[in-house]
Amino acid sequence: MTILAFTIILLVGAYLAGLLGSLTGLGGGVVVIPLLTLAFGVDFHYAVGAALVASISTSSGSGSAYVKEGITNIRLGMFLEIATTIGAVCGAAVAIWLDNNIIAILYGGVLILTAAMQQRQKSDHDGVVGSEAARRLKLFGSWPQKDGSFKSYQLKHVGGGFGVMYIAGILSGILGIGSGVLKVIAMDGIMKVPFKVSTTTSNFMMGVTACASAVVYIQRGQIEPGIACPVLIGVLFGALTGARLLKRLDVRVLRQIFCVAILLVAINMIYQGFSGQF
Amino acid sequence: MKNTAKTDIQLLIARTLRWGVGIACALAVVGGAMYLWQHGGEPMKDYTRFPADADTARTAYTTLEGIFSGVVGFTAVGWIQFGVVVLLLTPVMRVALSLVDFVKERDWLYAFITAVVLFVIIVNSIGGY
Repeated sequence: MTILAFTIILLVGAYLAGLLGSLTGLGGGVVVIPLLTLAFGVDFHYAVGAALVASISTSSGSGSAYVKEGITNIRLGMFLEIATTIGAVCGAAVAIWLDNNIIAILYGGVLILTAAMQQRQKSDHDGVVGSEAARRLKLFGSWPQKDGSFKSYQLKHVGGGFGVMYIAGILSGILGIGSGVLKVIAMDGIMKVPFKVSTTTSNFMMGVTACASAVVYIQRGQIEPGIACPVLIGVLFGALTGARLLKRLDVRVLRQIFCVAILLVAINMIYQGFSGQF
Repeated sequence: MKNTAKTDIQLLIARTLRWGVGIACALAVVGGAMYLWQHGGEPMKDYTRFPADADTARTAYTTLEGIFSGVVGFTAVGWIQFGVVVLLLTPVMRVALSLVDFVKERDWLYAFITAVVLFVIIVNSIGGY
């Protein structure tokens, strides 16, 4: 295959990755890794570098819209960033020693968890009584409703959420994907943050967490210009198209199809990982 | 919105993010076009194995000096990697602007927390090879 053909296919693939990533809220990296490793046989160490680029593109690209709407809880995000960035540093340090097959199995595991979490109910967690620690850290907030008013919320279990965030950071440093699923588990499941707030705050954190490990990956030569260039451009435009479509499209059916697709990819990854094919 | 100052900094953050990704994308387009013009017809590089030893994996474009001299010397790869560096800077800028915001609000607890996050990223980019 010539460089031209590879670049064009990757550009189209990255566009679809960004589009699907923003429609399903999972980020562009989730599609970029199987595309590179399963379709092109690229080494996981390069694929993860590309996924980090994709994660930052999606986060910063769609982030400019969320900041204005005032849904993101910046204090909550920033506080939990301490856990995710330190985790990302640890993850990136470990990643260089990990075999491709182990990375593939870990990736498959995170995908299965992601598919499972897509099935859960989206809750606003009405009437949660916040904890003292959360109050002291000023983590309570409010978010805009459809009618323009603001609804306030409280949250709890700060320590537990912080711990899960550290693990999310490690996984992000190893896999390059935002591991948004663990972030939503930590915020929505443990700390009882309203669903809409936890997804946008998770998106805000994804870019910063990915950046903390990307600064190591680029110095190690794991971010290859020939791969990073089409991924950066494709994912960005895909995410922008996705954000526009999301406003007038009902994506429930698409999410279900995508769920099945990532389960199949996960099984494939885990199977090939265990049989040592990477 | 509590006050107008808050809105100002949020608009600034939104604008910084948009400009950051825009510039990163433009640099990657220029670099990518040069790359395809010069090498498009050549066979694809072998990406199937990441070099096991660190020295082979490192190229001229894994340091800031290398990237900058690539940009000045108009090499395709230099421009692409510069685009990636600009992209990496967008979340850093977002954290830095939030720090300014917290200091302005005299929210010292969060100014400290934000400074820690910024510190982790900066230390990792300098010493975290």
